[in-house]
Amino acid sequence: MTGQTKIAIIFLFLLGFFTATRAMAAPGGQILYESDSIYHHITIRQEGMERCMIFGRQRDLRQTCLDLEKPDASVFEYTAMMFAGFLFRPEAKSVCLIGLGGGYIPTVFRMHLPQVRLHSVEVDPLVEKLAAKYFGFSVPAGQSLSIDDGRQFLKKSKGRYDQIWLDAFNSDYIPAHLATKEFLTLARSRLTDGGIVIQNLFCGNRLYDAQIATMRSVFAKVFVFEGQKSGSCIIVASDRPAADPEGLRKQAQRLGGRIGRIDLFAEIAKCRVTAAVKKAPILTDDYNPANLLLMQKN
Amino acid sequence: MPIVYAGFILLLVSFGAAVMSLEILSSNLMSPYFGGSIYIWGSIISSFMVHFSVGYVLGGWLSRRFPRISVLAAFLVVCSIWVLMIPVIYQPVCESISEHIADVRLGSLAAMNVIFLVPISIMAMVSPYIIGIIAAWQRQSGLTAGMILFISTVGSFAGTNATAFYLISLFPVSRIIIGVGVICLAVSLLVLLLRIDRRIRILGANNCS
Repeated sequence: MTGQTKIAIIFLFLLGFFTATRAMAAPGGQILYESDSIYHHITIRQEGMERCMIFGRQRDLRQTCLDLEKPDASVFEYTAMMFAGFLFRPEAKSVCLIGLGGGYIPTVFRMHLPQVRLHSVEVDPLVEKLAAKYFGFSVPAGQSLSIDDGRQFLKKSKGRYDQIWLDAFNSDYIPAHLATKEFLTLARSRLTDGGIVIQNLFCGNRLYDAQIATMRSVFAKVFVFEGQKSGSCIIVASDRPAADPEGLRKQAQRLGGRIGRIDLFAEIAKCRVTAAVKKAPILTDDYNPANLLLMQKN
Repeated sequence: MPIVYAGFILLLVSFGAAVMSLEILSSNLMSPYFGGSIYIWGSIISSFMVHFSVGYVLGGWLSRRFPRISVLAAFLVVCSIWVLMIPVIYQPVCESISEHIADVRLGSLAAMNVIFLVPISIMAMVSPYIIGIIAAWQRQSGLTAGMILFISTVGSFAGTNATAFYLISLFPVSRIIIGVGVICLAVSLLVLLLRIDRRIRILGANNCS
């Protein structure tokens, strides 16, 4: 082999290597929008009929995905699980949602729960603009929206809610000040009698154990729905021992078994009355090693 | 002479570290009341810059007026006591400011200044004060102004990383602040005990005339 051939082979090899790594780094689909807000790096990407809002540079941290043909279909497992909250408070008249993302949850409320007053709270004004532009989000009659930090909003709010849904995420995880005992105590004080708090989170880390412990330090009853297809979990916390799985099934029957495309019976199967968690610290404003715990497997 | 240098280095490193440790911790104090946005960091950094400026001017001026380490150490004792009080005062301060000022940018800026103006300004006096003393001490010292700033910055580097990477994961914020306060107080008292002013001769400064 001549020197020139060797160089050519090495060159071709390197070229192939770089092309392969680039192809791996850039997943399929088309980027519709990419920019920075005061909080995150936001990307909106579409693949087929699925359009997603992504925070941060990690491509797998999708905040919201919407099926453009079926906007009320839950692309993520967790969003369907959150609607299981209606099995605990089926008669809920007012719900506060903290963390808007692309606005999938308000869309389901608009299409299938028009009798419920939904108040959404989103900290990032750009997220709301993008939700409107790319995800068909709008504030219909009966719903409202505040651009504010979730904790500040609840503190200033005089309203009481039957359900408070916590779905605020930044490009790392749940903002630390929205995961402490003090914050949950504030949320509890904004509930109507027998109201519930629903928290979306990931289960495969020690922070999850700490969040369950923190919830238990504030609420009398803590239920967990464990995702079967994803690493998502939902905590439903209440002061009233609301229901056992049998009671939930009855409620699901009363609601006709579905909310839109969400099959409530399938969600009940994921419910754990006593979540198995290891001993973990209670997160407070003073002691909140969330970053460390998030990195540790449970 | 080694004791003089040791005293200077101790002051520079520990207060350099304390300043940055408090800067990192202040975000944990602010976020429950003013949110966790970039605004908080804007308030924290800009407030500290203002406190540094106040401390630099004051430290430079005082060192010319009173070129004695004991005067600086007395200020540092006051500053350490203030730091020890932060875990007690920050909640009512942040609470009442966030109730009165709706804008989180203005609110966090006000809270940062109420809590940190006094201690951080005093901590920022350390480098210019020591530079002033060395200038008055004239050629007897091997330390240059650049070296003073270098030592203090090394302390700041250690304080930043130790707090952000380790301490915040291990201890409650209030306990870390108390730890910082105790170290500051101990260093200030130790430097007073070392009687550094007697060991350096500054013409016209240490006699009572």
